[in-house]
Amino acid sequence: MDLFRRIRRKPTLELEDIQATVLRARPEPYFGTHAILEITDPAAGKELLRRLAPRVTSAARWDEPQPSWMALAVTYQGLVALGVPESSLSSFPANFRAGMAARAERLRDTGPNAPEHWEFPFGTARVHVAVTVFAENEADWQSEVAAYERELREVPGVNLLSHQDFGADGFNVFGYRDGFSQPVVEGSGAEPLPGDGRPIKAGEFVLGYPSETGSPLATPAPDVLGRNGTYVVFRKYHSHVDAFNRYLHDNGRTKAERELLAAKLVGRWRSGAPLALAPDRDDAALGADPKRINDFDYADDPRGLHTPLGSHIRRMNPRDTKLEVLTDVNIRRIIRRSTSYGEPLPADALTDDGRPRGLDFIALGARAIDNVEFLQSEWVNSGNFVGLGKEKDPMISLQDKKGAYFTVPGSPPRRIQNIQSFNTLLGGEYFFMPGLSAIDWLSR
Amino acid sequence: MSEQSALEKFQTLPAAVREKVETAISDAKIELKLRVGLMLADQKETAEHKVTTAGRVGAKSGEVSELTVIMPLKSDGAARLRKFFKVIDGNLAGAGQVGTLHNMRFVFLENDTKLLFATAYDGEWDPYIDDFATKIPEFMDYLFRNVEGWPGIASPDVKDFIVKYQIPAEAWFVSHPNLTVAEANRLKRQDETVQSFLADLN
Repeated sequence: MDLFRRIRRKPTLELEDIQATVLRARPEPYFGTHAILEITDPAAGKELLRRLAPRVTSAARWDEPQPSWMALAVTYQGLVALGVPESSLSSFPANFRAGMAARAERLRDTGPNAPEHWEFPFGTARVHVAVTVFAENEADWQSEVAAYERELREVPGVNLLSHQDFGADGFNVFGYRDGFSQPVVEGSGAEPLPGDGRPIKAGEFVLGYPSETGSPLATPAPDVLGRNGTYVVFRKYHSHVDAFNRYLHDNGRTKAERELLAAKLVGRWRSGAPLALAPDRDDAALGADPKRINDFDYADDPRGLHTPLGSHIRRMNPRDTKLEVLTDVNIRRIIRRSTSYGEPLPADALTDDGRPRGLDFIALGARAIDNVEFLQSEWVNSGNFVGLGKEKDPMISLQDKKGAYFTVPGSPPRRIQNIQSFNTLLGGEYFFMPGLSAIDWLSR
Repeated sequence: MSEQSALEKFQTLPAAVREKVETAISDAKIELKLRVGLMLADQKETAEHKVTTAGRVGAKSGEVSELTVIMPLKSDGAARLRKFFKVIDGNLAGAGQVGTLHNMRFVFLENDTKLLFATAYDGEWDPYIDDFATKIPEFMDYLFRNVEGWPGIASPDVKDFIVKYQIPAEAWFVSHPNLTVAEANRLKRQDETVQSFLADLN
């Protein structure tokens, strides 16, 4: 599917200073790498930024295909390691400064998802810089990675802590098409596609511009550091596709029954076709059509008879669903740049093959940290906001070991017991993604 | 119950409970010691009402949290708020749309120089402050601009401002700790359905 929107209006954002990843869609198929670096002395960190700065792609002409691009982001500990002055450090929000591991309670990252079980280097104070390479083909991916690695080798004093490759054809390891629902950023010049809703104020996604409140959100100081930057939430999950497949098999006798349940859990068929438009059976052509795939709301489905109130997409983007709690859904949008890793497990595989596979959940936005904390406690690990009590998101929540269920509305409703956590958190971090002039400022 | 039988019953409680009671309230009468001891010994009841924390500050029992703030008022703040409360006859019915508020009260203290605001609400207090700032900013600012130093609901400093004046409760009880406002609304709707079903049935 062609995920690229076109620039139809004159952009008003400073695109040449904003990092590409903020606006540039993930291609299909895609290839890439997430690397995590440690800065052992400020001079080395600055030298690294100086060397990498020319490779960091801007969002200018973000609508034109590009073979590969690179993104760079820094944690709070990274800013400290770079020797950023205290007056700047203290201007960052408290949850960013604390880091994701310290926010585990707020994020509901407990039990198997708790930081003490995370993979190295997540949750340690050594995570300083993240470098991500995105590419639309293998050769350009390899050469972009090689180019960044050449620079890295030239800078003693910066250590590579982890290197994770990713890539997929646009379908995640559970077999669902993903990554195609994005908010329309006002001022980006993007053409809204049917069902996108109104453009959201730029300041919700890029620091320094008016937000939905009418004013810019709190921006780090000095202005050159904060402006055109954004926050990134990175959460690496291992996916238990075998457990998901077993849940479908335990509760569906035929393939058709299982696929319907799979669609009810997510709110879309695996093709991407939404239940709202294809309530009874999958429609692959609809799932591959960017003009139709999001062209729906829930006005005629208040009870969730087509798209369950507790389904994954209706939780993550309730659109016009009447919520039980006063909520502004327009400030809860995130730009999603998640990447899949590992081979998908086919729907008939009911045992774990022990291989790594999953999703790097990546959310961008001026409120990304607040919003992921909000999503985790209010929309993922609770059902209260849509009147579902303690029922949780069927795909990404941490389910209770006993008594967890998923409800498919109907007459009568079907309550499907013993749902498990289908994704386990392996670690994550809060990053700040500086604009290009901010990278320059940080390198001096 | 006679003092003697209270004492006998107290002796049947687990030693750990008795010790806790004897250490903390040695000066109480045996009847009270027995009541407290029985409460502590009832693990199911105490577990259901377990008091945890509501995020940065405040107590939480089950899903329901408490917030108490005492804030300094501007010189004409109390008079202006009184005028507003009078127009609506002290009836804050519209607050129901927030969907997490069990109750709230506004009380003027110390010769109208301070405002006590107290509420019982679902969840943790800060996730929805941002939503107030874009959904009902006029209302929030109209009420709280009478408070000295109010930064405005859309200000990035507003959460710190509230925390500064918040006084956490030392003890907290909720009769139905797991019944959120949304759940209560759902039970009411279910009951209406059941009642009309019964009415139609007969």
